[in-house]
Amino acid sequence: MTHAIQTRDLTYRASKTFEIRDLALNVPHGSLYGFLGPNGSGKTTTIRLILGLLRPVAGSISVLSHSIPRESPRMLGRTGYVPERPHLYPMLTVEEAMRYHAAFYPSWDWKWADELAATFLLPRQNKIGGLSKGETGKLMMLLALAQRPELLVLDEPTDGLDPVVRRDVLMALLDYVSQTSATVFISSHLVHELERICDWVGVMDRGWLIAELPMQSFKNGIKRLRVSNAPAMLGDAPFVVLSREPGEGAHELWLVRGWQPPMTQFFDGIGANLREVVDLDLEEGFVELLRTFRQPQS
Amino acid sequence: MFKAILFTQWRWGRVLVATCVVAGFAIPVFSVRNAGGGSWNGPMWNALDLLASMQSYGPIYVLLAGFAGIALSTSAWAPDHAGRHVYALSLPLARWHYVLLRYGSGVVLLVPVSLALWIGALVASVSTPLPTGLHAYPGALALRFALASVLSFSVIFAVASGTKRSAGYALAVLLGLVLADLLISLFGGTPVVIESTLGWLFSSSGVFGIFTGRWMLIDV
Repeated sequence: MTHAIQTRDLTYRASKTFEIRDLALNVPHGSLYGFLGPNGSGKTTTIRLILGLLRPVAGSISVLSHSIPRESPRMLGRTGYVPERPHLYPMLTVEEAMRYHAAFYPSWDWKWADELAATFLLPRQNKIGGLSKGETGKLMMLLALAQRPELLVLDEPTDGLDPVVRRDVLMALLDYVSQTSATVFISSHLVHELERICDWVGVMDRGWLIAELPMQSFKNGIKRLRVSNAPAMLGDAPFVVLSREPGEGAHELWLVRGWQPPMTQFFDGIGANLREVVDLDLEEGFVELLRTFRQPQS
Repeated sequence: MFKAILFTQWRWGRVLVATCVVAGFAIPVFSVRNAGGGSWNGPMWNALDLLASMQSYGPIYVLLAGFAGIALSTSAWAPDHAGRHVYALSLPLARWHYVLLRYGSGVVLLVPVSLALWIGALVASVSTPLPTGLHAYPGALALRFALASVLSFSVIFAVASGTKRSAGYALAVLLGLVLADLLISLFGGTPVVIESTLGWLFSSSGVFGIFTGRWMLIDV
C-alpha cells in the first residue's frame, strides 16, 4: 500500500508542556482519513508539520512523495488546505479572493469554482470580512477544491457551522472525491461526522497517535464485554484488553480492541464465562479509547 | 503571481498611495508658488530668498519619503500578521519567493508617488522663470525621493517581515542605546551614544545619509 502522507518518528516541541512525540502516521493513497482527537491533542500542530508550516525537531515527513519541509512548495501546489481558523484577507471580496488564489495554482478550475460559488450561494462581490462564519467556511472549501488537489488537508472544516452548511460542505467534498482519486485528511472532534465519511481513522491524544486503523476495524473491533469468573492473569489473549472494571455482582466489564466473534473460545480456555458482547459506536469507542489511554489499566 | 500580490497590496494600501501621490505632486508646486512670500514675481525674486524658501521645504520631502516607505511596508505585512501567516505559508511557493513578491509589490507602489513628485517638480520648474544663476533639479529631487522612500520601505519591511523575536532584538538594541546614555549621565558624563549613533547613521556615508543634506528643487 502506498501512502499519501507518511511520518516517521516525528517530534515537535510546541511548548514546555506539549510536544508531538514519535509520530508514525500512515495515510493510504485515495483514503478518507479521519484524524480524531480532543481539543489540544495536537491535531492542528500535526497538520502544520505535514504541510511544512512548522519545522520538526526530529523525524521525517513524506507527503505525495515529497520530503517535507524541504519540498513543501511543490507539495502545496498539489494540496488543498482548509485551516482551522479563517485565514483569508478580509478586505478582499469573494471574487477577488478567488482570483488571488487561482493565480498560484495552474490546475485551478474556474468552471467548477463558478459552479461551487453558485451552489454555496456565495455573494461574490461581498468582502470576506463581512461574510458569515458559514459563508467563510464554504469559501475556504471552494478555494481548496477548485484547485483540483490530489490531497485535501482539512482542519476541522465544519467546526461551528450549522447543519445545512455542514451538509453542503461535506457534499461538495464527497462529490469531488467520487470524481477523483484524491486523498482526504480531515481532522475533527465531531466523531459522528467522520464515522459517516471516513474509511481510515487515526486518534491523537496529548501529542501521541494512540490508534490508526481502518474505520471498519475501529468500529467493529472495540467492544465492551461482560465477563464472569475471570482470573486475574489472562495469559495470551487474542485481543487487546484496554480496561477491566468491576461490574454488577461477580461480573467484570472489559473494554477490548481487535475483537472477532470466534474469540469467544478464549474464555472457555481460561475458565471464564462471556455473558455479553456490547457493540460500541465510534463515539463510545473513541471516548473509551481516550479514557484507557489516559488511565492505563491497573 | 506578482500581479495577484500587487493587487492585494494595492487593495489595502491604495488610500495611502493616493494620499502620497497627491502630496508628492503638490509639495513642489506649493514650494514654488509660495516662494518669496507668495508674491510670484519670477525673475524679480531675490535668489537668496528663493533658496531659503526652497530649503525650508526640504524636511517635508524627507518626511513624505519616510512616511510613504514606512506606511506601505507596514501595510504590506499587516493582513498576513493578522492571519498569523497561515495563508502565505500554505501557498505553493518558497518563503523567500513570497517575501520577494511582497517586497517588489511595495516598491512598485512607491513608483507613482515618486512619479507624481517628479511631475509636480517639472510643472513647478517649467512654470517659474528663475533668477540668473539658479537652476531647477526636478529629476534629481525625484530620484533622491525615490531612493529615500525605497530605503525607508526596505528597512521597515525587513523588520516587519521578521518574527516577534527579531523585532524584539531590534527593540533591545534601541533600549541598549538608551540605557548606555542613561548610565553615562548617571556617572556624570555627557550622553553621546544615541547622538553619535544617529550621527553615524545619518552622516553622508551612513545608511540613512540620503535623508540628510540639501533637498532642493531649485538650487545654484
